Amino acid sequence: MKKKAIINEAQLLLIGIPVLLWTLIPVYHMVLFAISPRDTATSGRLWPKSPTLDNFQVVFQQKHLYLQHFWQQLGNSLLIAVAVGLITLFVATCAAFAISRLKVRGGRTVMNLALFTYFIPAAFLAVPMYKTMANYGLLNSKWSLVLAMVTIASPYCIWVLKQASDKLPWELDEAARMDGATPLQLFRLVYVPLMVPSLVAVGTYSLLLAWNEYLYGFLLLSKETDLTLAVALGNFLGADDSPWELLMATGVVYALPPAAIYYAFKRYMVSGLTAGAVKS
Amino acid sequence: MATVSFKNIQKAYGAVKVIHGIGFDIADGEFVVLVGPSGCGKSTLLRMLAGLEEISGGEILIDDKVVNDLESKDRDIAMVFQSYALYPHMTVRENMAFSLRLRKADANTTAQRVDNAARILNLDALLDRYPRELSGGQRQRVAMGRAIVRDPKVFLFDEPLSNLDAKLRVAMRAEIKALHQRLKTTTVYVTHDQIEAMTMADRIVVMHDGIIEQIGTPLELFDRPGNLFVAQFIGSPSMNVFEGVVKGDAVEALGHRWPVAAGTGRDGQAVHYGIRPTDLVLANSGIPAQVVVVEPTGAETELLLQIGAQQLVLVTHGRTAAQPGDTVHLSLDAVKAHVFDRASGARLG
Repeated sequence: MKKKAIINEAQLLLIGIPVLLWTLIPVYHMVLFAISPRDTATSGRLWPKSPTLDNFQVVFQQKHLYLQHFWQQLGNSLLIAVAVGLITLFVATCAAFAISRLKVRGGRTVMNLALFTYFIPAAFLAVPMYKTMANYGLLNSKWSLVLAMVTIASPYCIWVLKQASDKLPWELDEAARMDGATPLQLFRLVYVPLMVPSLVAVGTYSLLLAWNEYLYGFLLLSKETDLTLAVALGNFLGADDSPWELLMATGVVYALPPAAIYYAFKRYMVSGLTAGAVKS
Repeated sequence: MATVSFKNIQKAYGAVKVIHGIGFDIADGEFVVLVGPSGCGKSTLLRMLAGLEEISGGEILIDDKVVNDLESKDRDIAMVFQSYALYPHMTVRENMAFSLRLRKADANTTAQRVDNAARILNLDALLDRYPRELSGGQRQRVAMGRAIVRDPKVFLFDEPLSNLDAKLRVAMRAEIKALHQRLKTTTVYVTHDQIEAMTMADRIVVMHDGIIEQIGTPLELFDRPGNLFVAQFIGSPSMNVFEGVVKGDAVEALGHRWPVAAGTGRDGQAVHYGIRPTDLVLANSGIPAQVVVVEPTGAETELLLQIGAQQLVLVTHGRTAAQPGDTVHLSLDAVKAHVFDRASGARLG
């Protein structure tokens, strides 16, 4: 019995250690580069001889060609991510409420279509999306990226929220109706307050999806001052001699907000995204 | 305060008819219990009255006004659900005040009515708690408080006690009855528990397979069940019933002659003979039966008896010396017998 437990533990470690290394080594590399002076960044040492925060100073003071609009681009990323989070949340919550609680006609079809969108990789839709945005004259506008990301994030969010809504007891709606609530009051006073954990999870998901997006940002935005930080980071690699230490320092800054958000909401993330995953 | 009338009510889900033309009237202030086995349509009927289910045919009237096309909220009725359906994110006070808040009642009136309801139900100390912090019985009282605050024309209860344990159920039963005696609001109460129905109702409506089997006061149903279904459904332990044939002033069954009131059925008619466990009396002579099990409950003793292949239950007040395996003799009073036609199940005599 004891031997079996040890073997079990060993097997878990055998899987766990590589996964941990796999996850941490890139992060370690990023941090290593970010705190190394330019000339020693690629020296092959496991820890720089003289660690420095100068790179961050360069980044924050925008003292490099690639970093001329750093704050502006960080702001763009933030604005777009928050807008995508809020709009997706609004769209998905309304859709889930209508389908799950008001049982509108065609709800099932909408759900099936939402599921169907999973089968098409977002990259396939990049060119059609580009054409559509061009048709509406939205190219080079932050709105194009916001709308594109809302389109990509919504189906999954509707699906998750619909599943979570189905778990709310139906009697609550009936009680509210008998108490005299209109559908809008039911939504505002009963449904949304009870859905908060799922809403936080879904909002965070779509916010991070937009924050991390590269392809669509690269396609739809082109003016330096409109770019998101993700695209701007990619542009570092356009030169023959890329400033790796600055790229990584910017990367560290870029990685912090998602980490903070995830940490703040992890309680909701786990319970919210798994809620409705299985029928209990 | 209001009267309620059902006129030829029908309900169908697609091609499946679940309620087949039900009609009866409820008087102002009356406490009516709809009772029946699960699937008999009693909850559906209540939900149609509540406006939560579409009415497929017929009319429902509250205070002589047809309400078929009125929304639930405009019918001025309040409902207590089996699962209580309290809003989990609101305190007891907010739960109770919710309907008034939706009606934009002023703060003073709201506070006054909530406090009043809380006092009636002994919820004063719990007003600032959340439903998750309450016990089952307390939640049940909050659900009732939410209904009382509305001061509706009609109270509806949908199996409100079935989530409570046995002891609490008895206590809440009394509380609901006392509440009705105090408020005198017309009440429709749905349950599958015939004891609840017997103890609480002014009148009972026994339903089965989407029709009404019988309507009457609890004692009417107990003393003169209109058909075999009601006879077996009402009463605990339930009535002893076995098959026999009418012969003169008796029914021949199980190899014995069982007395019936004169003029019950015609000679040779195939019938079901019914006798309540409390109407079987132990005697020195009479129909012999073998004792299978003796169950003393203190005040009463329940005997399981066997005559041929038929098992009968006898309840006697006080104690008995009978032991399993003994032979006892039964005497019974002809007027206590219930005889039902075997083909139709309808009461004879």
